[in-house]
Amino acid sequence: MNLRFIDWIWNVRGSLALAPGQSSDDAFARLDPMFRQSGTSHQRTNDTLIFSKKSQAAQDKMSVFDGGALHIDTSVGGSVLRYHLTSRTLLFCFLASPLFLGIAQLTLVVNHFEKPIPHEEMKHADVPMNPIDKALGSPEPDHSKKDDADDDKKLSPKAAYIFSGIFAILYVVGRILEDRLVKARFRKSLMRDE
Amino acid sequence: MSTKHYESSEEGVDGIRVGKRVIGAQAPVIVGWENIPRVTGGPVKLFIFTWFQPAMLFAMIAFWYYAPNSIAKASTAVGIGIGFKVLLLALEWVNPRYASWRLTWKELVTDLFYVGLGFTVLHMVSHYIGSDAMANAIQHAFHHDAFMWFTGLPLLAQAFLIAFVFDFGQYWMHRGMHNWYPLWLPHSVHHYITQLNINKGAVGNPVELFLIGLGIGGFFDFLPRAVLIAGAFGLAIATYQHINVRFNSPRWWRFLFNTTEHHSLHHSQDWEATRSNYAGTFIFIDRIFGTCVDGEAELLGMEGGRRMAIREQMTHPFTEGWKALKQRFDRPLAVSAE
Repeated sequence: MNLRFIDWIWNVRGSLALAPGQSSDDAFARLDPMFRQSGTSHQRTNDTLIFSKKSQAAQDKMSVFDGGALHIDTSVGGSVLRYHLTSRTLLFCFLASPLFLGIAQLTLVVNHFEKPIPHEEMKHADVPMNPIDKALGSPEPDHSKKDDADDDKKLSPKAAYIFSGIFAILYVVGRILEDRLVKARFRKSLMRDE
Repeated sequence: MSTKHYESSEEGVDGIRVGKRVIGAQAPVIVGWENIPRVTGGPVKLFIFTWFQPAMLFAMIAFWYYAPNSIAKASTAVGIGIGFKVLLLALEWVNPRYASWRLTWKELVTDLFYVGLGFTVLHMVSHYIGSDAMANAIQHAFHHDAFMWFTGLPLLAQAFLIAFVFDFGQYWMHRGMHNWYPLWLPHSVHHYITQLNINKGAVGNPVELFLIGLGIGGFFDFLPRAVLIAGAFGLAIATYQHINVRFNSPRWWRFLFNTTEHHSLHHSQDWEATRSNYAGTFIFIDRIFGTCVDGEAELLGMEGGRRMAIREQMTHPFTEGWKALKQRFDRPLAVSAE
């Protein structure tokens, strides 16, 4: 299978037109501070910059990306910065959704194989309410009802389904947000006054 | 109880002397309440960020004290817990303590992954071999009449005792983690976080999260309303350990309760500073045992703030433990081979 059909999941590609007359050297000089972060190494040839990140700080503005390449295409019409960035976190977030679906299924399987344990009824001693609580108006304990805890004896897959949904939403948000943020940061760096 | 006297809090390579200890020799920290930045802004903002914490605590206690039996149950507590954390997330945006702790999408994904594990896999494990199973076993081992004296106490006294006994256990477990290498290995992963956000308390190696859950609070599980009030203590106090919001916490609050200030110092890049403020809820336990340092730190983490990826967070205790074992058992062989 051609990875190209699915690699949009963890790859972010984009392009930005450089200002008229802006050279590759000038563009890369302006972008340079973004790659001078702890855990980041980069190499530059004339019109290409390749970088990789390891254990990048949470405070690194590009921390969501683990590597990539920036290339400047020069033509008569003007220069264009093209970039291709990879993110393990995007892939992780994408896979977290099915992972939690799997956990939900696992919970159902565990429930299925669990033999019903005869639950020993724990009788609450009928202790009179403390007079202070009575005076302050706290509701009387309901001794006729079973404990709440008794209802929770079987494991519920609900939480796993909810987290599967949360990660699906988070992925969509992150894929759009991080794409836009990195583009905005590149644009801001390229346009900043020296 | 005498109050500690701190020398000048000016940062420097020499650190700050706190009692017999020198804090901040390796990384910058702030020591002493008078040196910690305050909330700035108009009177409304000042009022909110001064009284938010006590107001929420008293509101939650009052709610559980007076809630009808039909809603005073665990599922309501879970709902309130989630709602409260969403509210605190909003406060992180409104009034952050440090810009460098701003929640990013990547940090949120990591944090929620661990929160998700807590609600699912860890919950399942503790159901069979962890705190739930322990609580059941203990409760069945004792005759209920043995607890009659306890259930006759005023609700608030019961709730405080439950929360205190649990936190006392957590204090020693946590202190043990910082002093005994086999326990430090799983806990160390949590110390690689480089910023504090509302869900960072959930981030850590699952082995540690399982261990820290082994409190003896479950001992008293059969007193629903008192447990719910005790839970409110945890939610409305211990939650502030990991949060990026600046509050002007009242003096009495920060004397009794753990705060972001205390816990940020515990997470500092300065090794000596991490060996303080072990309690989860009641910082006065640290004051009693002489491990409390009142202060704050912005630069957090281990190895100069190296961020640990989730894969390494999962394997770190085992790989480091294996290395330590090899080192220990290889050395005599190497000597004898010479």
